Amino acid sequence: MSVGTVEDHAEHHGVELSPEQQVKANRFGLWLFFISEIFLFTALLVARFFLWGNTRPELNQVVGLIATSVLLISSFFVYRGETAIEHGDKKRFMSNFLWAALFGTLFFIGVVVLEWNIFGLSGEIAGIEIFGTLKPTDGVFGGVFFAMTGIHALHVLSGILLLLAAWYNGRKNNYSATDNWGVEGTALYWHYVDVVWVFFYPALYLIGTAV
Amino acid sequence: MSDETNKTVTAGYKRDWRIGWIVFAGLMVLTLIEFAVANLSNPSAVLLIIIGLIKAALIVYFFMHVYRLWREEKHG
Repeated sequence: MSVGTVEDHAEHHGVELSPEQQVKANRFGLWLFFISEIFLFTALLVARFFLWGNTRPELNQVVGLIATSVLLISSFFVYRGETAIEHGDKKRFMSNFLWAALFGTLFFIGVVVLEWNIFGLSGEIAGIEIFGTLKPTDGVFGGVFFAMTGIHALHVLSGILLLLAAWYNGRKNNYSATDNWGVEGTALYWHYVDVVWVFFYPALYLIGTAV
Repeated sequence: MSDETNKTVTAGYKRDWRIGWIVFAGLMVLTLIEFAVANLSNPSAVLLIIIGLIKAALIVYFFMHVYRLWREEKHG
C-alpha cells in the first residue's frame, strides 16, 4: 500500500490552507487549549474555596504583591515584543522577549525560593519574615497552596522556555512583520499564564481571614 | 515602502506602544487597589473577585487580542 504525503492528501481533498487561514486555525486551536485548561484551574480554585472557605494561611502579603507585579511586568514586555515584531522592529522584539523571560524567571525563583522555601532559609526585612513556612503536608492549607502554585509554576516554567525559543528563532531571522505566528502563540500563552495568576493571587493571598 | 505607508506604520506602532503603557498602568493600579482592599478591616471578597475579572478582561482584550479570533486576518 502506498502512503502519500500530507501535501498529496491535502491536494486530493482540496483542504490546503492559505497562510492567513493557517494562522486563524492555529489561533483557534490555541484558544481551545486555553479553554480546556480553564477546567484544571477552575478545579483548583473550587478546591481552595471549598476547603479554605473564608480563611487562608498566613502568607507574606508583600511577597505576593511583588510576585504579582513582576508577572505583570513580564506580560507588559511580551506585549511590547509582540507589537515590535508586528511592526517589523526585530531589535525591540528580541530585547523585550529577553526582559520578559528574565522577569518570568524572577517570578519563578520568587515562588520556589521565597514561598516554597526549598532551601529552608529564614530572614527578616523590616521585621517581616520573607521566607515561607507553609509545607505541602500542612493539611488543606499546605495541600491546596502547593497544588495551585505548583501547577502555575509549571506553566510559568514552560512559558519561559517558549519565550527563549521565540527569542532564539528571532535571532535566526525566522520572524517578520507578516510571518510571526511563533511570537504571537508564545505571547498568547504567556498572557494566559498571567490571567490565571490574576485569579490565583486574590484566592491565595487576599480573600479570607489569615489564621 | 512609500513615505505615506511608513508614516501610517509609525503612527500605528506608537499607538500600540501607548496602549501597552496604559493597560499596564491600569493593571498595576488595580493590583494596588486589590492589595489595599484586602488589608481593610472587613475586606469584601466580591469586590476582590470583580477587580480580578476587570484585570483579566484587560489582559484578554488588549494583550491577548481576543477579537482577532473573529477578525479577517491581514498577516500571513
